[in-house]
Amino acid sequence: MTRVAIVLAALGLLALGAPAPARAQDSQFGVRGLGTPGRWESVRARATGGAFAPFDPFSPLLEASIADVRRVTVGVTGAASWRTVDFGSTSNSLRGTRFPAFVLGGPISSRAVLAVGFSTYLDKSFGISTRDTIDIRGAQEPVTDEVTSDGAVTDLRVALAARLHRTLALGFAVHGITGSTGVTAVRHFDDSTNYRTSTARDEVGYHGLGGSASALFDLTADLRLAAWVRSDTHLRADIRGRTVADDDLPFSFGGALRWRPGTEAVVAGAVAWRRWAGAGFNAHDTFNWSLGTELGSLTSPFRFGVRGGQLAFGPGPTAPTEFGISAGIGKQFSGGRGRLDFGLEHLQRKGGTGVTERVWTFLLGLTVRP
Amino acid sequence: MTRRSTRLALLLALGACTEQATAPGVCPDYCPGGQITVVDTTFTDMILGDSTFGHYREAYQGRGLPVADVPGLIDSRAVFAMVGAVPPRVTNRPSPDTTTVPITMDSARLRLNIIRRDTATKNLWVKVYRLSFGLDSTTTFAQLVPAFTDSIVDSVNVSALLASPQITDTATVRIWGDTIQTDSAGHVLQVGADSTLILFFDFDTTQARYVPTDSGKVAYGVRVSADTLGSISLGSLESDRSAALKWFFTYPDTNAAPVQASAERPSIFDTFVFSPPQPPVDSTLAVGGAPAARSLVRVKIPEILRDSADVVRATLILVPVGPVPGAPGDSFTVVAEPVISDLGAKSPLSTQTDFYGVKTIHLNVADTVRIEMTDLIRSWALDTSATTAFMLLQSAEAATYAQIRFYSTRTPAFRPALHITYVRRYAFGVP
Repeated sequence: MTRVAIVLAALGLLALGAPAPARAQDSQFGVRGLGTPGRWESVRARATGGAFAPFDPFSPLLEASIADVRRVTVGVTGAASWRTVDFGSTSNSLRGTRFPAFVLGGPISSRAVLAVGFSTYLDKSFGISTRDTIDIRGAQEPVTDEVTSDGAVTDLRVALAARLHRTLALGFAVHGITGSTGVTAVRHFDDSTNYRTSTARDEVGYHGLGGSASALFDLTADLRLAAWVRSDTHLRADIRGRTVADDDLPFSFGGALRWRPGTEAVVAGAVAWRRWAGAGFNAHDTFNWSLGTELGSLTSPFRFGVRGGQLAFGPGPTAPTEFGISAGIGKQFSGGRGRLDFGLEHLQRKGGTGVTERVWTFLLGLTVRP
Repeated sequence: MTRRSTRLALLLALGACTEQATAPGVCPDYCPGGQITVVDTTFTDMILGDSTFGHYREAYQGRGLPVADVPGLIDSRAVFAMVGAVPPRVTNRPSPDTTTVPITMDSARLRLNIIRRDTATKNLWVKVYRLSFGLDSTTTFAQLVPAFTDSIVDSVNVSALLASPQITDTATVRIWGDTIQTDSAGHVLQVGADSTLILFFDFDTTQARYVPTDSGKVAYGVRVSADTLGSISLGSLESDRSAALKWFFTYPDTNAAPVQASAERPSIFDTFVFSPPQPPVDSTLAVGGAPAARSLVRVKIPEILRDSADVVRATLILVPVGPVPGAPGDSFTVVAEPVISDLGAKSPLSTQTDFYGVKTIHLNVADTVRIEMTDLIRSWALDTSATTAFMLLQSAEAATYAQIRFYSTRTPAFRPALHITYVRRYAFGVP
């Protein structure tokens, strides 16, 4: 692959995400809640069901993993998804693009590595259209309502990691949680002669803070253990300087294990708990697991993964569930200075009142070490 | 990895940039927490003040001359005066010889334009009366009663004319410019392209009296009668469809042989008079009539409409003091036009017709009048610097005797009100 191709690929990824950090709702379950939590995973990690995220320095989940980045490197992730939502007998197709993660890191001393970047914390893009008939002035008036939200809450991360020992790396990060959504609510009246369309627009700003710590410990030369913990404060929603909502953000923790049984095979598994239940209406605590593998040479591996668990928001007393499978490939080029990763993921989510959501996501990632 | 696969991946990624993020909502479980709420309220206190002003346009300035005769309700008559300027002597020799010879008046043809009529009218008669020339804007109905009693010069049954066969031969069309309908008395009717009826009366010298000292100044009045719906409008000077009189005369040539000539003279003044007379302006809100009255209505937009609502429909409610008397089937239009600045009677009116509220008023009906003013109220709710007042006026002022009167703010039980439907501000940001 030539330098021109690398630049084109990078530009393509940037064009994919440049209009907005996140533009399409990942799930219908997040509409009646704070949003849809983002995945802090690179394409490589996501192709393995997320199991490799704790060990992947370009997945903004765990800071300790960047301790092994010995040269300045940048990684970007792009995703395009096609989603089908079945509400009983009705089915709707949706599509959207996202730019869920960006990480730039490099050493600042012989031991310490600094990384900055952003990732989607909560995706808040959606559009809802409903039909109804209301009674006005003694007559039944059919109306169509459209409520749309376009934007996301982004996690801006500054992370510091260091390898304290040959077998131990530690990392810490502070997180600025910020973002905005452009929101509109439109009511169209079928009787447009007498009733004008009502349009309300606003911009909602979001603010919050968080901190995280993590560690990687090599039990043996082939077995690595990861643990992480993260606490986020509150998510404050402001409209024109006035706070309209203040919701708790979760305390999260998780762990993972990676085993390298051979030179061309890696297997990993990860679990994570997030205490979302305090985050307002329709919120639930979640547990998620993942299992994945990477096979083949380091320059062009094949990846497979499976994941499962719960979604943070959804109607009813129990959390919606999610199950997904994924696969992908990677290709190093320019002597290992760059890498393109491709992935394909299929998710199925089920929630109360018989709602099923199926999502196909095409993933494209680029990692460049200038 | 091949170059082809790289390009394919990029194409796939860029192709996915088209968004489809809107889906039918299954509420309330899968819809945002906010609700679009419609509120429907009649604001009786939004109209703070109102005033009526008269004499915006006099009867002689109207674009039509209403003629109606509905016993017990209205008797309206059109009157008009023709300019003279038909000299009693003309020259019959080439210049510079200024020798003149007397003319001999032969006849005259009066042309009237009926610009509005009820097609359901039966047995409509148009009657022409001779009046004395001294008409002006102060001429009253009572002053003309004698002339309208004993000076009839001609009459024609328009319904019968309309029912008569059209004369379409080429000779007729060449003379009249179009097909005509005529009766045994020689009245001629043409139907204009816009359905206007053009009526011609042939007068002899007793019907059209040429007085040499007046150079042919004459005045006529028009009444109507009908079995039903006896109401029409004649064209006026302001509508460029005034009545005209064409004089036909002869004069001797140098051999004493008669030479035929003609001279058409338009109206120099036209107006209408009616009975019963229009009552003077009082504490009610008067709109229309002749002279035309207007009512200025001042509105205060409540805070709730400015800050937290989107107006989707606004209707002005006006309660008439009573039915507008007049010919059954007649109507007129009331328009609510915003003023640019509130200067009382002389408030300049906005030319932004999008904001006008329009309502057709049918005579002899006392229903509450509702005028849709959504766009105007919406604009006022958004623009705090706008002058929030409008003028109620009649469209084509002084073209009808009909004047409607509404209860004003001085009658609390029936004061003007605004019926407003609005959408509350959506609660964004709340899950």
